[in-house]
Amino acid sequence: MLVDSVRLGEWVAPSRVVFGPIETNLAAGRALSARHAAFYARRAAGGAGVIVTEVASVHESDWPYERAPLASVCGPGWAEVVAACRPSGALVLAGLGHAGGQGSSAYHQRALWGPSRVADVVSREVPGALEQPEIDELVDGFAAAAGLAVSAGCAGVEVNAGQHSVLRQFLSGLTNRRTDPYGADRARLLREVLTAVRGALGEGPVLGLRLCADELAPWGGIGRADTSVLLPTLAPLLDYVVPVRGSGLTVAATRPDGHTAPGFNRELTAALRAGLHAPGTGSVPAVVLQGSVVDVDMADAALADGTADLVEMTRAQLADPDLVAWLRAGRPERIRPCTLTNQHSWVRDPRNLIISDDAEPGTGYEGVEPGVGTAVPAGERSGAGPGVLVVGGGPAGLEAARVAALRGYRVHLVERAALLGGALRLAAALPGRARFGLLVGWWERELRRLGVVVRTGVAIGGAELDAAIGDGVEVVLCAGSRPSPPSFEVGPGVLVRSAAEFESAVLAGPVRAVLPVGADVVVHDPVGDWTGVGVAEQVAAAGLRCVLVTPDPVAGTQLDRTGDLAEANARLQRAGVARERYATLRAVRDGHAELVDVHTGARRTLPCTVVLDCAHRLPDDTLWQARPELARAGDCVAPRTVHEAVLEARRAICTAQNP
Amino acid sequence: MARIAGGGPRLESRLAVGSVTVRNRVVFAAHLTNFAVDGLPTERHAAYYAARAAGGAGLVITEEHTVHPGDRPYEKLIRGFDPAVLPGYRRLTDAVHAHGVPVLAQLNHNGGQSFGGYTRRPVWAPSAVPDRLFREVPVALTTAQITELISGYAEVAARCVAGGFDGVELQGSQSSLVRQFLDPATNRRTDSYGGSPAGRRRFLIELVAAVRAAIGPDRVLGVRLGCDDLPGVRPGGLPGGAGPPGDLELPAGAEVVEVAMAVAGTGQLDYVNTAIGVAGSTQYRITPPMGVPAGYALALPMAIRAALRAGLGAAAPPVLGVGRFTTPEQVREALDGGACDLVGVVRGQVADPEFAGRAVRGEPVRTCLGCNQECVGRVGRNRWLGCVRNPSAGRERSVAPGSAVQSAPGREPPTGRVPVNLTLGGRSGGSRVLVVGGGPAGLRAAATAAARGHRVTLCERAEVAGGQVRLAARAPGRAEFGQVVDELLAECSELGVVVRTGVAVDAAFVRHFEPDELVLATGSRPAPPEWAVPGVYDVRQVLSGEVEPAGPVLVYDELGHQPAASVAVLLAARGCAVELLTPAMVVVQDLGLTLDRERFRRRAHELGIRQSTDRVVLGVTRTGPGADSSAGPGGERLAVDVLHHPTGARERRECAEVVCVVAAEPADELWRGMGAELGRAGRAVYRVGDCLAPRRLDAAIIEGDRAGRAVGEAR
Repeated sequence: MLVDSVRLGEWVAPSRVVFGPIETNLAAGRALSARHAAFYARRAAGGAGVIVTEVASVHESDWPYERAPLASVCGPGWAEVVAACRPSGALVLAGLGHAGGQGSSAYHQRALWGPSRVADVVSREVPGALEQPEIDELVDGFAAAAGLAVSAGCAGVEVNAGQHSVLRQFLSGLTNRRTDPYGADRARLLREVLTAVRGALGEGPVLGLRLCADELAPWGGIGRADTSVLLPTLAPLLDYVVPVRGSGLTVAATRPDGHTAPGFNRELTAALRAGLHAPGTGSVPAVVLQGSVVDVDMADAALADGTADLVEMTRAQLADPDLVAWLRAGRPERIRPCTLTNQHSWVRDPRNLIISDDAEPGTGYEGVEPGVGTAVPAGERSGAGPGVLVVGGGPAGLEAARVAALRGYRVHLVERAALLGGALRLAAALPGRARFGLLVGWWERELRRLGVVVRTGVAIGGAELDAAIGDGVEVVLCAGSRPSPPSFEVGPGVLVRSAAEFESAVLAGPVRAVLPVGADVVVHDPVGDWTGVGVAEQVAAAGLRCVLVTPDPVAGTQLDRTGDLAEANARLQRAGVARERYATLRAVRDGHAELVDVHTGARRTLPCTVVLDCAHRLPDDTLWQARPELARAGDCVAPRTVHEAVLEARRAICTAQNP
Repeated sequence: MARIAGGGPRLESRLAVGSVTVRNRVVFAAHLTNFAVDGLPTERHAAYYAARAAGGAGLVITEEHTVHPGDRPYEKLIRGFDPAVLPGYRRLTDAVHAHGVPVLAQLNHNGGQSFGGYTRRPVWAPSAVPDRLFREVPVALTTAQITELISGYAEVAARCVAGGFDGVELQGSQSSLVRQFLDPATNRRTDSYGGSPAGRRRFLIELVAAVRAAIGPDRVLGVRLGCDDLPGVRPGGLPGGAGPPGDLELPAGAEVVEVAMAVAGTGQLDYVNTAIGVAGSTQYRITPPMGVPAGYALALPMAIRAALRAGLGAAAPPVLGVGRFTTPEQVREALDGGACDLVGVVRGQVADPEFAGRAVRGEPVRTCLGCNQECVGRVGRNRWLGCVRNPSAGRERSVAPGSAVQSAPGREPPTGRVPVNLTLGGRSGGSRVLVVGGGPAGLRAAATAAARGHRVTLCERAEVAGGQVRLAARAPGRAEFGQVVDELLAECSELGVVVRTGVAVDAAFVRHFEPDELVLATGSRPAPPEWAVPGVYDVRQVLSGEVEPAGPVLVYDELGHQPAASVAVLLAARGCAVELLTPAMVVVQDLGLTLDRERFRRRAHELGIRQSTDRVVLGVTRTGPGADSSAGPGGERLAVDVLHHPTGARERRECAEVVCVVAAEPADELWRGMGAELGRAGRAVYRVGDCLAPRRLDAAIIEGDRAGRAVGEAR
């Protein structure tokens, strides 16, 4: 069971749930910060068994992103994290690594280090090939960092030979073209590093390995067969191993978004674990299941059926740090679902945004903004306080009602549609985003449990609102958004539907029933987020001709922040969606769309009878305009995402009169 | 360049700007640096601005300081609203004032040209119109919020005065709430802050009054105004991108001129600054790339200056013009043409902090290339500003007045004809240094080492030094690139570096030479793909003129940067049918970072260059007559097998030649042959540039400079 303890080295972890090393951008310079400590302590308090801190570079030649920790300056930070997590019992392990040729030369402005002069696929930068003195420094760097970590109080370390790592680059035939002993035996460097780290640690502390077991590049990359041979040879050095997948070609494969089914590494992990447990083997390291594991049932099943000994549930604990605590309390239904959108958990981006979660905006901001954080609810109050009326049952309204009820208000929520969920329901209709729907169900359960009075199918009018205000009821407006008018000229007979109108129709019936037979569909996407790409995929999947019009060089340009950008463009091409790039839609008439190139001004036309307009939305603020003193949250302030809706809902309630 | 009759002020003439007097007309105008840490101005800021003041600038205007916590479009923005900035303000202003130069702070709120990622608050703007770059729907400001913002400007302006600034500039140009109020496209308000031109202007007029009240009559107040779509510019474009550059003209009665008149008419304004372009949508007009002529944006200041002089006579405030001025001559021409009273030179002074002093003294400067790689390209990715030409940009140390140029010991001091690095630090001197390779890395290493007093010999195998830069400069519109090596050669010559060309250095040469220290800058060589057959060439062979493809040509690009764009345009302009094919999602993707994309795409469109993404070359076979011969093209064709990797579809291209733009391999035989031997002998060996790992010009210059500084340190 996930809640059972497990022995690792000389330590015992209080549960089998691992919080893996994930980029946070919380560092102060290159040191782990007090915010790191608060961030990890919150997961520890919620029951995490093992916490692996953000990977720290073991050598100054590695500075893969601006806020990447540097091990040599992390001693005090590790100690602070350990102190913060110790009361909860979680084991704190220091993530250690070197990104090699996948690093960045932008910060130290020196040549990257790699096994061979093979340009990284993403950056296209050619690294300098490591020679023996640098290899020695690298090995020494791992050992020194491990020594520093345990002297700071860490229970051990986890060595990264996964996605972004020079150790993987040495293991892989794609990047290691050496003719010396490090090429003849591509695992030589990894073995040297693990041996040196074990030497620095001694026998007691934990040594874990994050190992790329499959680069998804069968023409030359690390394959499962390689790993099944390699891993048993490393086993005597290790306390645990986390098999992961992905290479420089498939950067998003380690933590993919919702387009990849959860638990994708189960079969691989089970096979590797079985190999380790084959008869005749000695001490066997624990095996950790990684890979979009977000549901506790799946995780428990993996423990029960021998797939793994522990389960890494990193993003699930971004969404709900109390995941294990709810399990221990026998209330798994109260765990806030993880959406797997990566909209806030993918921060390896030059902008240095702080890690967070779609529906738990306190994540990454622990202690920063009191009242909207991820604090454990301290005893819920009875609904005897003053009344609150929440107008709108989308994410902002649902969260406002939930938080108000938790704080003891008597809460009424009115929603004009027949179902709760608002824009979340529409978002969940898009391919790869179905998990948004789980959030709606979660909120419905919470509101039911908390006794919130919900009225759906009720459009509240100004008079009713004013009457409630007159009765002393606190009102929070969460009325959502409305489409913007078309930015292009529309001729007679052209069908123009906003993305929301289209998704509403799709929820009611198949795409083919929504669009005319033989339609030439243009998806107008001046925004470049998940909506336009998803709508185009739906149209194409229904067998209709579809063109996506974007002003950008690629479709879905904002998907770079979720890791889905390259794959989204590949999916569109596989689906037969034509992408009209660098294009502005000027007009649609007489069966044609007129496009203008954003740079050259060149005009071109396309067959078009239907436009699905994925342009930005506008706030539905009619009620607020007449009563600007009222609190409001979410899209009716400015249409954005669920994250802002939830955050503003919490702020609206926190700043309301305390009961 | 735009001109009006009658002449104008001289570069070296003094000018009263409100309460201060500038000593010359060269201004270090506002630009982003990303030097702030936690929203506070840093020592780095102080040293950076002070270096330009030391170098002779007439006036320094800092990057923007935001006036409100809700405004944070990028991470490293100075938070003027935070009282904690005050010590940093004082440090900065003291550092600039030490050189007798006035310094102003630019105040700004970016309005809707922002997003909520850092603040986790909705973005504020005049109306709920999303910005074309950030694409986040803003909240329309309430009247109370407008009042709050105006108070914020006034409060920060007062803090700037307390921090020692001589005044403030209000940004109303490329990325600002002020411009969003002025522009009917972003101001759709129906209240008194919208509608008529006077309504849209109201915010700015109120702001000017409030800020003037806050700073008092004895400080400088300027406003920077901008505009975007000028008639006479091709759609979305700049002049000079295709065909001969044309003069821009501002239409009579252009609203931006009326705005300038209205603001100047308040009597509160000490100068008007200008800029063309809008951040995000037409960024390439604000900091245009190589190939755009100096003064491209002068129509705007010229129109404003003429209107102010006609309307206000002697009371007309001076007008500042900007626009890719890279040489003193261009600055003089702009002034002489009467386009403006002051000239903003930003990248020119980033590349050469002594630009203004050299201009006054009539000396040549170290010229900005307009490559945009390390300034615009880095800042756009949240990194601190640097410069390909000047590896010390952004790393300045505080410079004491009067110590700008250092001389080498034991020799005559430099005549001052050649720019010498401002911040070389202490000199060690005395080593006998051999630099092998005369590309940019070797030249930079030689010049830096020589400036530190070492005896330096540089050997270059080719008859002409310059390395790959010479090739790059041969491409259409890229000639300015060659200035790097021309100026480095001149610098080496001034500093007494012995430059020997046509000398191939091998191990025997090094042993005979017996250098104390050796710098290897031997560059790289093309690495043909495995599928190369006769008729498949490297980009270098084409740029050098070694081969002259007749076409049709397939240009295969794995680098995503200038070389592919250059060779495609070169060949297409010669009349070849050209297809540019890349495995990447975007053709020549890095051109976006340097703001070259718009010009490239227009040129490619005019030349009919076909562009294909997401494709890799699997193999090439020769077909047709002569296919069995290895003698090269002679009527035979190439059949290129191509994989469209997202779908797995196989395609075939027929062409006469394939030009490869792929990663090179280091030419490091000398290192591999004797690096260890020299190490054992206790001789320091440095590898710099492509012979370590083939990269771009910035890496070559930085590593060359670093090696030049390291020489002698180990002894």
